[in-house]
Amino acid sequence: MLKTLKAAVIAAACVPVMAEAQDYDTMTVEELLPLAQAEGSVTVFSLSSRIARVEAAFEEAYPGIDLIGLDMSSAKQIARITAEQDAGVYAVDVLYMADSPVVLRDLLTPGRIHTYVPPRVADQLEERFKMPLLVHRLSTKVLMYNEQFYPDGSPVKNLWQLTLPEWKGKVMMVDPTQRGELLDLLTEIALHPDEMAAAYKAQFGTDIAVDSDLNGAGEQFIRALFMNDLVLVSNSDDLNKAVGTKDATDPPVAFGTYSDRRDNEEEGWALQVANDVEPANGILFPAVLAIADKAPNPAAARLLIDFMFGDDSDDGGPAFAPFNVPGDYATRSTIADDPDSVPLEGLKAWTISSEAIAANRARIADLIITLQ
Amino acid sequence: MSHATPVPSPSGRRLLSSRQIVPLLMVLIVGVLVVAPLLRILLATLTPAGLTAWGDVLASAMSQNLWWRPLMNTLILGIGVSAGCLLLGGFVAWLVVMTDVPGRRLLGVMHTLPFMIPSFAAALAWGTLFRNSRMGGSSGFFESNGFLIPDWLAWGIVPVLIVLIAHYYSLAFTIISAALSSVGADLVEAAQMTGARRPRIFFGIVLPVVTPALVSAGSLTLAGAVSNFAAPALLGLPVRMQTLSTRLFGMIEIGQAERGFVLALLLIAVSGVFLFLSDRLVSGRRAFVTVTGKGGRTRRFPLGRWRWPLFAVGLGLALLTTVVPVLVLVASSLAPQTGALFSNWTLHFWLGEGGGQIAQGQAGIFRNSVLIEALFNTLKLGLVVALLSMVLGLALAHTITRHKGTILANALSQLAFLPLLIPSIAFAAAYIALFGAPIGPLPSLYGTFALLVIAAAAHNLPFAVQAGRSVLGQISTDLEESARLTGAGPLRRMWAIIFPLAIRGLLAGAILVFVKMVRDLSLVVLLFSATSPVLSMVAYRYAAEGFMQFANAITVLILVICLAASLVAQALQARVQKWKD
Repeated sequence: MLKTLKAAVIAAACVPVMAEAQDYDTMTVEELLPLAQAEGSVTVFSLSSRIARVEAAFEEAYPGIDLIGLDMSSAKQIARITAEQDAGVYAVDVLYMADSPVVLRDLLTPGRIHTYVPPRVADQLEERFKMPLLVHRLSTKVLMYNEQFYPDGSPVKNLWQLTLPEWKGKVMMVDPTQRGELLDLLTEIALHPDEMAAAYKAQFGTDIAVDSDLNGAGEQFIRALFMNDLVLVSNSDDLNKAVGTKDATDPPVAFGTYSDRRDNEEEGWALQVANDVEPANGILFPAVLAIADKAPNPAAARLLIDFMFGDDSDDGGPAFAPFNVPGDYATRSTIADDPDSVPLEGLKAWTISSEAIAANRARIADLIITLQ
Repeated sequence: MSHATPVPSPSGRRLLSSRQIVPLLMVLIVGVLVVAPLLRILLATLTPAGLTAWGDVLASAMSQNLWWRPLMNTLILGIGVSAGCLLLGGFVAWLVVMTDVPGRRLLGVMHTLPFMIPSFAAALAWGTLFRNSRMGGSSGFFESNGFLIPDWLAWGIVPVLIVLIAHYYSLAFTIISAALSSVGADLVEAAQMTGARRPRIFFGIVLPVVTPALVSAGSLTLAGAVSNFAAPALLGLPVRMQTLSTRLFGMIEIGQAERGFVLALLLIAVSGVFLFLSDRLVSGRRAFVTVTGKGGRTRRFPLGRWRWPLFAVGLGLALLTTVVPVLVLVASSLAPQTGALFSNWTLHFWLGEGGGQIAQGQAGIFRNSVLIEALFNTLKLGLVVALLSMVLGLALAHTITRHKGTILANALSQLAFLPLLIPSIAFAAAYIALFGAPIGPLPSLYGTFALLVIAAAAHNLPFAVQAGRSVLGQISTDLEESARLTGAGPLRRMWAIIFPLAIRGLLAGAILVFVKMVRDLSLVVLLFSATSPVLSMVAYRYAAEGFMQFANAITVLILVICLAASLVAQALQARVQKWKD
């Protein structure tokens, strides 16, 4: 009897808390702050070790809230949060990760994470960056070349050139069956069959003939690229060295990361993006921020996500500074792009749609496996 | 005055109840630590998605590239590496332990080093020397100097084989030399007095006695080779060579975990067949006990005029397998440009103040405030895990050797070997599932240091068990029997008899575990929640940001720690085994 009563009292006490939980998403920073300070800490898994710098800035801006940042790859984050939640452990608040198609399929759809858009910056984000996942910034996998060896600009103007004998064994990428971003890149190419067919016609003057077992010109391109002795490597370091090293004789081109260009001077590289490429030079892919299901510190979690979008200044202030890298792009419209990089609108890359990629990724992975 | 006798079969013995408790306990421990995670992985592949994955891997258009060709590469690597390691490691162990070769101590220390150097360093060293034009603008040392390096020598199975043998032979050396050191002088002397020639002494006495150690070493190097990721990824991918481990890693990385798990189970099955066969090989032979109450000094073969040439061979091997990779590692922590390892050296990455032009203003590792803390955490983790797994390993190895030939012993020895082959990401996920929720009165271990230690000890169990077995197999049951008859309990017998006699093998195993642990990243990242990092996490942070020099500086630091640990272990062993020189 007493037990039932006790349970009833607890249940009653919980009601206002639960009602409040519904409101976290619409609270302002000022309303979140005291709740977050009462929670006292916030735990975040991050794909980038730059979370350490966010920690310093966050704890300075909001004293009394301890940020616990753990850096690990997206695949590990997914494995860990899945195992934890299956065991009934709810220990993490915020996830900062890439691999959005897998995140969508394995975390968002089963309700393991939730999308929270900070009201403060909601108006400054395009719709596609708010749904289904909140996108913090965009990184690239685009065609890179050696600007010292090719001073007149990119030697490649059309992706189909990469399938010609002159580029045999001279196109590189990190193995797409080892790294999700490269699989996303090839999947995105497969999702643009019409543009790839038009580019084929522009290159060769004839209509493309697609093999009967393939769907469209994009997949045909993937097969042709692998048949032309595409060189796979295990990490982007090898790739940058191979493409970018100054004074190289006949360097290859590669699908790499635009922002690696920032290391040119220090490493003695001459990496440059090949932007003038038909139909596109690669992809822009998102880094997403999400709140874990049953996050133990719901207010602090939201405060942190809000914080990571930076202040109203041009560069986003100290909160965004760790992520303000030339060649990466903020989704928040008030944050200006780096003056020395190609602006976002000018970059001829496809921005991936997590949903479309998620639906087609496995098929393209199968295709690639048969081609290796 | 000791004797070599075949171990009596235990089957005819009456089993006392106290004797049954220990094996049962062992079964329980192995069940929880090893079988449960394995079952979990198996269950994950029996879901609808998992069953599709079985089909994809074994019977589809992809099977060729997903399973058969990687399997073939993996088998070539596994068999080739373990054969190469036994030859090299066995030769060096014989040289160091059994002969009067000059500089034995130096050689002994140098040949334990390769295993402490991460295999990626050896692969990097190979690349630095042999990289060819397939890597575009950045040729290696030989091509830059006018030698043309063919693809087969720069990439693919040949360099991976060489690099892995160079890495793992020291594992074989460590285990075999521990066993060789217990071949008593009396045996050899007896043979010499009866006029046996050297080859006969070698094949008739030494080889049979160390057979268990050879099998242990062969199994561990095989498992190491088939599960190694770094070398085949760095040197194999450019010519599209995939092994089961690169495939497995890739499938988990791109979100097709079921396929990864299927590959992991198949890898375990294939390795299991090999382990079973090698177990058969040993149990078919007679085993010999050589460590009895009166073991004497080890007598050394005089090498005569071969002393110095063989010293040169041993030293040359050590230089190639340790000095070259270490040099590349150290150089890459000093060179500002990762492409030009030997120019413009700077200590910035070690000691430099932040804020300058180098490395985007990052300060050197010794100015990183978390480094000291990470150092401390790493030592703590390594020591605790090494200790726990050695206790577990000794108990298991003891049970296995004392119940030799029974189903129980076979099952335990097979199971205790498997953790090496379970991918850490799957292992860690299983541990979170098992211990994440409170079990009865026990609190949830989630995110605690304790859970990390348990999982790590289980993961490293094969090293401990194999090291323990190879030595325990030689210790005579007489000693224990007489102690038991005089009323000594199991713990006391363990402490007063087994432990001192087995110390060398145990410490060899403990060092292997320690080394594995201070380098390990996957388990730590997945199981540990505290913000206080370990060194491998700090190295990962640097590497993830593209600061390879800092990461390599930390790897050098880890190497120094491992070396120090092995020196301490040798000193310790000399103190315990006072009756040896």
